[in-house]
Amino acid sequence: MSIEDVEVPALEIHDLTVSYQKKPVLYGVDMAVPAGSMVGIVGPNGAGKSTLIKSVMGLVQFSDGWVKVFGEDLKKNISRVGYVPQRESVDWDFPVSVIDVVLMGCYGRLGLIRRSGKEEKEKAYAALKKVGLEAYGKRQIANLSGGQQQRVFLARALAQESDLYLMDEPFAGVDAATESAIVELLREIRDQGKTLIVVHHDLASAREYFDMMLLLNMRVVAFGKTEEVFTGDLLQKTYGGRLTVLSEVAEKFAKDGN
Amino acid sequence: MAVHEAAAARIGEIVETNPWDQMRRFITLSDRGLRLSLIGALLFGAVCGLLGSFIVVRKMALFGDAISHAVLPGVALGFLWSMSKNPVAILIGATLAGLAGSLLVEAIKRTTRIKQDAALGIVLASFFAIGLCIIRIIQNNEGASKITGLKSYLFGDVAVLDRHDVITMGVVVISTIILFGLLYRPFLAISFDRQFAVSIGFPVRILEALFQMFLAFAIVISLQAVGVVLVSAMLVTPAATAYLLVDRMHRMLWIAMGVGMLSAITGVFFSFLGSNLPTGPFMVLSASSIFTMAYLFSPKYGRFTKWLRYRARVKKVREENALKSIYHVLESRGLEGSGNAILIKDLASHRKMSKAEIVKEIKRMKRSGLVKLEGGNVSLTTEGFNKARSVVRNHRLWELYLTNEADYASDHVHDDAEKVEHFLSEKDVAELESYLNYPQEDPHGKPIPGRASA
Amino acid sequence: MSFYQIFIEPWERHASAYWPILAMAFFVTAACGLVGNYLVLRRISLVGDAISHSVLPGIAIAFILTGSKSEAPMFVGALVAGVITTLIIEMLHSRTRIKQDAAIGITFSTMFAIGVILISLHGSHTDLDLDCVLFGKLDFLSSKEKIIMGLPGVALTMGMVVLIVGGLIVLFYKELLVSSFDPNLAATIGISPRLVHYLLMCMLSVVVVSAFTSVGAILVIAMLILPAATSYLLTDKLWVMMMFSLIHSLMSAVGGVHLAIAFKIPTAPSTVVCGMMLFVAAWLFSPTHGLIRFWIRSRSPIEKECIKI
Repeated sequence: MSIEDVEVPALEIHDLTVSYQKKPVLYGVDMAVPAGSMVGIVGPNGAGKSTLIKSVMGLVQFSDGWVKVFGEDLKKNISRVGYVPQRESVDWDFPVSVIDVVLMGCYGRLGLIRRSGKEEKEKAYAALKKVGLEAYGKRQIANLSGGQQQRVFLARALAQESDLYLMDEPFAGVDAATESAIVELLREIRDQGKTLIVVHHDLASAREYFDMMLLLNMRVVAFGKTEEVFTGDLLQKTYGGRLTVLSEVAEKFAKDGN
Repeated sequence: MAVHEAAAARIGEIVETNPWDQMRRFITLSDRGLRLSLIGALLFGAVCGLLGSFIVVRKMALFGDAISHAVLPGVALGFLWSMSKNPVAILIGATLAGLAGSLLVEAIKRTTRIKQDAALGIVLASFFAIGLCIIRIIQNNEGASKITGLKSYLFGDVAVLDRHDVITMGVVVISTIILFGLLYRPFLAISFDRQFAVSIGFPVRILEALFQMFLAFAIVISLQAVGVVLVSAMLVTPAATAYLLVDRMHRMLWIAMGVGMLSAITGVFFSFLGSNLPTGPFMVLSASSIFTMAYLFSPKYGRFTKWLRYRARVKKVREENALKSIYHVLESRGLEGSGNAILIKDLASHRKMSKAEIVKEIKRMKRSGLVKLEGGNVSLTTEGFNKARSVVRNHRLWELYLTNEADYASDHVHDDAEKVEHFLSEKDVAELESYLNYPQEDPHGKPIPGRASA
Repeated sequence: MSFYQIFIEPWERHASAYWPILAMAFFVTAACGLVGNYLVLRRISLVGDAISHSVLPGIAIAFILTGSKSEAPMFVGALVAGVITTLIIEMLHSRTRIKQDAAIGITFSTMFAIGVILISLHGSHTDLDLDCVLFGKLDFLSSKEKIIMGLPGVALTMGMVVLIVGGLIVLFYKELLVSSFDPNLAATIGISPRLVHYLLMCMLSVVVVSAFTSVGAILVIAMLILPAATSYLLTDKLWVMMMFSLIHSLMSAVGGVHLAIAFKIPTAPSTVVCGMMLFVAAWLFSPTHGLIRFWIRSRSPIEKECIKI
């Protein structure tokens, strides 16, 4: 077997370092995610989970390291990546309807100038149907519950027809029924060969939902199959004690600047 | 020649005209200067509405305010460079100043811990002060006469618009409309969810820079009509009006443009009537008046309409509670149906209200055709009976639902049902009934009436 | 031109005429700057801008009704206008989906428009005209006022305002400090954030009204923010920040008057320009937060190595 036979990982991160005003947020992150897996990212607050996703998407600048999506720079493969941001990132009073938002998933493929036509509308409605919201197309987004808003975001991601999905806390503030429905849908997507990387806030359910897990606390504590990684030892390392020696040094450094 | 026409349009020169003549002259558009003013008003009103919509949804109102103050030095310098009111020179100068201002705001935010609000304030005030100084220096050196053109930029004077101004405005407006027509979707995406727009590969930074450039253009062409200080109002108020009226962005754009044009024209009208008054404030007041009307009477979001709905709700609840009481009294006596009468004082004691209050209530219901009043007796009409029955049914169904499905204790369900009973739709009731398997009794053993019969 | 000619001579020649203006400019900037520190820290700078525009109709109506030039009716008119403005802004953004920025913008521009119309209609009866609204009356100080201690009455009033504001800040230092940084904590230790907010708004209104007649509506915001923003770049301690803002006020007043004499421009905008230049200087050269420092630091190789640990 030669190098070429090894499958290109959906996402490969090498030595990624992100700092915010001299304070390191992420450092030395290494990760190679094989295609077709469902990865959960867990860690305490401030661990840099959202920042990791945003760095991959190019929304946050990193000072060191590189990121490759399906073997190439993000810019080359951007149409193959779908990003589902946190719900708070959006003003839900915005005058758009549910179908307007889902249609935005098609914008990447339409480019800047081409108008959206019947084909896009059909795709959007199909995506809405997948998340169970096909009756809500014309509704203004402010009139939705938290779980419904999350599902709209999901539908938008589905409309993108990506191969790699990056999701930032898709289950935050969502009711139990919606959560199970979403997990079902995610599994379906994974079974179609797509890759999912999800920042998750709840440890207990993470074990159930994901094939692989990344334990993150500013640096990678562990990454691998869930059953191998989800041990008391490693979890303690991830969550135990907010200020590890490393963080303390980093804080001091930021203050003195010397 | 342009100066003469502008002078003729300024009614301040013509002392002995009465308002009615003025109005007639306005309506028949007999003045060339007036026609130019109106075209100018339509143009800038439209473009302010267009850009303003994005400003409102992106919460950039104060940013718009800062930039509109920041263009002043550019205006002064453009004037200085051409030594006249050359609109192109002023447009270029002002746009550059505006862009410099917004770049400076970004720079301050990015390199210091100063936040957006203070950064905007710093740029706003500093640039404006510099502009004032330059204007005064020009005045000192070139004499006050050359500056009358410049004064109009501060509070607006649409009468001084000449052909060149209007042509420049036209060009700007047409190119803005083309830009937003072509790039509507990207701008919508960026405004709604910037991170998402970046994630699908849109050149977000470039588009935002374009937006700021066209914002600067819009501000600059509006300056002569509205003035530096009040331009931001014309950006924000018509768009805010539209925001209160519709739920979809593309409709909001059209309405904002319409309101913008209407306010601008109304402003021209009022300042045409007055003498020597700056136009800016009148346009702003027109826009604000229209906004106030939308605020109060918007069919979906208006305060007044909300209040009317609230009053209707209160009335409905009161009425239904009264009907329920009558039903309960009848039920306790084993009577049913319309036609059976009870004494008013029985009703009063059941409701724990005074006789006078009860009589008022009964009279109201009589007007609605729900009860009949004969002597000291009150009875339900058919309609009244059916309504009472529905409410009682809703109440008991809901109690049962809470007890069975939500595991409420049976003594806790009454208060909740008291509220919910008024707001269950027929569809809700049908769902409840089938879900609970067409029950006959509520948790307290009272019978649940079936669906209302004829 | 020698140093003497540029910097000293104008003062020698015009000192007596400009001394009251300098004093007034300093007092106005100092009072505004002190209050402005809290506006910047609490991120409500533009509320100051809104209030300074909104008081115009109040002042105009007060002038028109009483026909007098005294301060009292002006204060009342301005305070009433300020209260109305705050209420309207509240009403707009808390009951509808209109956001706070648009609510502020709509309200203050409407109030300002009303004020401008009133002044234009009745300008001839009063001392107020549009020029005054823009540039303020700083330069007309010395003409008709009675002089005490070499200063006209208005300047003394302004001086008292500075002292009162300073006094209030000293008195309520703890409360202002805690509620600015952590309103929740403040509530739990018995300091009502609401009351502190109203106190601040009252001080703001008083300061704005006094400043308004000196420097005009538009430039008040500069007086409020510039000293505070400049000081914010120079120190991390609140009371030091206050001291620096007073120094900034003094320097911009002196520089402003100087520029005014040299270029024959009104004192108000030139004071602002001076203040702005001080800000830029701090922005570039601040030993702790300046740009130069920023660039030096981000190139430091030590920094990159440490992060890699």
